[in-house]
Amino acid sequence: MHTLQLWALKKSIWVFHVNTGACNNCDIEIVNLLTPKFDVERFGIKLVGSPRHADALLVTGGGTRQAAKRLQEVYRQTAKPCVVFCTGACACGMGIFEKGYHMAGPIDSLIRAVDPQAIIAYVPGCPPKPQAIIMGVVKALAALQPEREYATERVPQTAYADPG
Amino acid sequence: MQPNEFHKQLTPIRDRLAGLDRTADNRVFLPCEAAQVYEVCRFLFQDLGLRFVISTGIDAEDRFEVLHHFSDDASGCVVTVKAFVRDRQAPELDSLTPLIPGAEWTEREMHDLLGIRFRHHPNLQRLILADDWPEGVYPLRKDVQA
Repeated sequence: MHTLQLWALKKSIWVFHVNTGACNNCDIEIVNLLTPKFDVERFGIKLVGSPRHADALLVTGGGTRQAAKRLQEVYRQTAKPCVVFCTGACACGMGIFEKGYHMAGPIDSLIRAVDPQAIIAYVPGCPPKPQAIIMGVVKALAALQPEREYATERVPQTAYADPG
Repeated sequence: MQPNEFHKQLTPIRDRLAGLDRTADNRVFLPCEAAQVYEVCRFLFQDLGLRFVISTGIDAEDRFEVLHHFSDDASGCVVTVKAFVRDRQAPELDSLTPLIPGAEWTEREMHDLLGIRFRHHPNLQRLILADDWPEGVYPLRKDVQA
């Protein structure tokens, strides 16, 4: 990725949350991220109200027939580069709804249909713990940049996502 | 509601029912044909004052079953009117919505998923299937493969 693009992306990630037919469990964990216990705003991660402001899409749900076109439209509206986080078992691979009559997913193939070069990260779990979602964001950012430029790799102590 | 007392209260509609199953003290099934369902439900709702809870639809292979569940809140007894819709080609029965507005959405959902038509329903539009879902395909019917 272009250095300037990466510099603009990684500092303070603004996230737009898209529900494509989730049962609301993942969504509750995402809201939990914003509570004082996890407080992702200390990392500059913030939920925003419009995809045009977003650096990342936090997608929950397996991608229903009705939601598929809306998700693709939302992805088109985001400023690129945009990282897509598939949050939860359904978003990663449709989960238990894989053979459902109403499914168009999974999320990664819906996004790749619009943009084959899309950056997609997966956070499995049903629902994923808030710690896991934070870890997913950290790992995705680490994967996007050269290791030597990645701040937490230079911290000598072990970092825990959940200090307990 | 004591069993005997309830059986006595049902006397006015007794000949509209195909039977009366009391599976537990607080669980009663009233099977009937589709043509009788409106009158039976009207009796339970208006004359006995039972509360309408929800409706469910079942594809029972040779017929459809539409179950209207009513609750007697004073005794905690749940009364289910089980209507048999025997015409599989054009399943149709009377809507409860003119009587109970709360039944509108659950009947629209049954119309979407099972293809049961509700006569006199004021707004039998698509409710939960996707906008691009083909007409005439009812996903919860047994003969539809997902």
